[in-house]
Amino acid sequence: MNQIASQNAPSSWVVVPHFMFGAITWLVVTLLIVFNSAAFTQHFFNPILLSITHLLALGWITMVIFGALYQLIPVIMEVKLFSEKLAFSSFFLLGFGAILLAISFWFFSFGTLMFIAGSIIVIAVVLFVLNVLVTAYQSTKKSIERTFIVTAVIWLLFTVLAGLTLAINFTHTFLKPSHLELLKLHAHAGLAGWMIQLIIGVSSRLLPMFMVAHNLTTIKLTFAYYLINLGLIIGIVSLYLQVNYVVTISVILVVVGIFGYLSYLYEAYQKRVKKQLDIGMKQSALSFVVFVIPLAAIIILALNFEILQRITLPLSVAYGSAIFIGFFTSLIMGQTYKTLPFIIWLKVYRGKIGKVKMPLPKELYHEKIAIAQVWIFALGFILFLLGILTTINFLVSISGIVLFLSVALYNFNIVKIIFHQPKNIE
Amino acid sequence: MNTLNEKIVELLKGVIDPELMVNVVDLGLVYAAKINETDHKINIDLTLTSPGCPMGDMIVEDAKQLILANYPAYEVNIDLVWEPAWTLENLTEKGKAALGHF
Repeated sequence: MNQIASQNAPSSWVVVPHFMFGAITWLVVTLLIVFNSAAFTQHFFNPILLSITHLLALGWITMVIFGALYQLIPVIMEVKLFSEKLAFSSFFLLGFGAILLAISFWFFSFGTLMFIAGSIIVIAVVLFVLNVLVTAYQSTKKSIERTFIVTAVIWLLFTVLAGLTLAINFTHTFLKPSHLELLKLHAHAGLAGWMIQLIIGVSSRLLPMFMVAHNLTTIKLTFAYYLINLGLIIGIVSLYLQVNYVVTISVILVVVGIFGYLSYLYEAYQKRVKKQLDIGMKQSALSFVVFVIPLAAIIILALNFEILQRITLPLSVAYGSAIFIGFFTSLIMGQTYKTLPFIIWLKVYRGKIGKVKMPLPKELYHEKIAIAQVWIFALGFILFLLGILTTINFLVSISGIVLFLSVALYNFNIVKIIFHQPKNIE
Repeated sequence: MNTLNEKIVELLKGVIDPELMVNVVDLGLVYAAKINETDHKINIDLTLTSPGCPMGDMIVEDAKQLILANYPAYEVNIDLVWEPAWTLENLTEKGKAALGHF
């Protein structure tokens, strides 16, 4: 008999704190948007925006990805996670490091505080990478999804090491390119190398599984893998050496690669056995539609049209916001409803079949609240993007309030899921 | 299939795939159900829609408990099988309708 994935699942105490920490961080970020709207309508190299971006990237997106990955690796690689203790240590360090780093950016404190914060994050990531690589090594399941995940975690390590180097370079400048160019290099290693590749690796297995889609053209994923990584390597080297036209070529390579992946997902969507999408899948589908916005924006920015010089700055902030909040955040919020209820359901009901009343995993959250959360989020995101593009601070603040409402509902459902209690059969 | 085996299949309609919310029989996941009255054994061959299905052992356990509740004197053995791989053709008409295929 084949190994069943749920027998390899880690304890929920390893996974759940990541979701809790991430959801609270995202709620705090929406409040920071409300009260600091001006940070989004000026040059992106400003302390508040750098602080919010790092809090969002590390305390929310990376945090939830870590937690979810500990649960999903056994599903994708059909093997047990190497160490739960390592995972828990990494959680504490990442959470603490993310808060400390956000504080040091907020006060533009580039000295010792930022170095300590950066070092804590590097240690957290080293523990995580070690855990994933040893686990992947134990797996006999060699698939393109596994390759994506392994490559993504290596890019994460590169990203945080590059970040720490930049922090040192702020006070003791030893690198030739400007801080701005180095920031682009660090940001894109994280965005495309880590987050997008990780999402490709996980979603290209999970989304077809949720939709029950078989016989898909996996060569599209192989194509995406080589184009994205080739583009990234060329892009990072040319950004460092300041060869602008090669940077443009690298952007095109990465974007074409991503379209290879999107085409794979579209094929899965068309071949799906389960026709109706639940609310978690609907928000995920929305995030993939929104994903086209930052992809178009980066192409426009990379081509550097003379006529668009005037809007380059708001477009850059809109690009970053569309990818962080429009795509990553929306996808994570949607996929939370596909993963967290199952994690808690398995924890609560394993070994209790026939002894207690069994709800369906989807009955662990309030569906109407989840639906309201998705629509309010969509409205908040549209207002947010409009506020950034028109550089109207008031609109950004309003969008922050709308996003706060959506994330508060999301947090309500997370708490409802995590503290679910079984009912005895009467 | 004899009547006793059909009775087992009928019972398995009470086992729901929690992701698809359709029972395992209408999903076409039950490949074989045999009852041996002399040895007091029930053997079931079951598959899943995806080999890595995270709900796999809960579905198997659910099926086992359900059969045991109805046949307490029997030994129930459920084998997860992957050949032939599950396809859309395995769905019954009811299963197709429940998943939105009209």
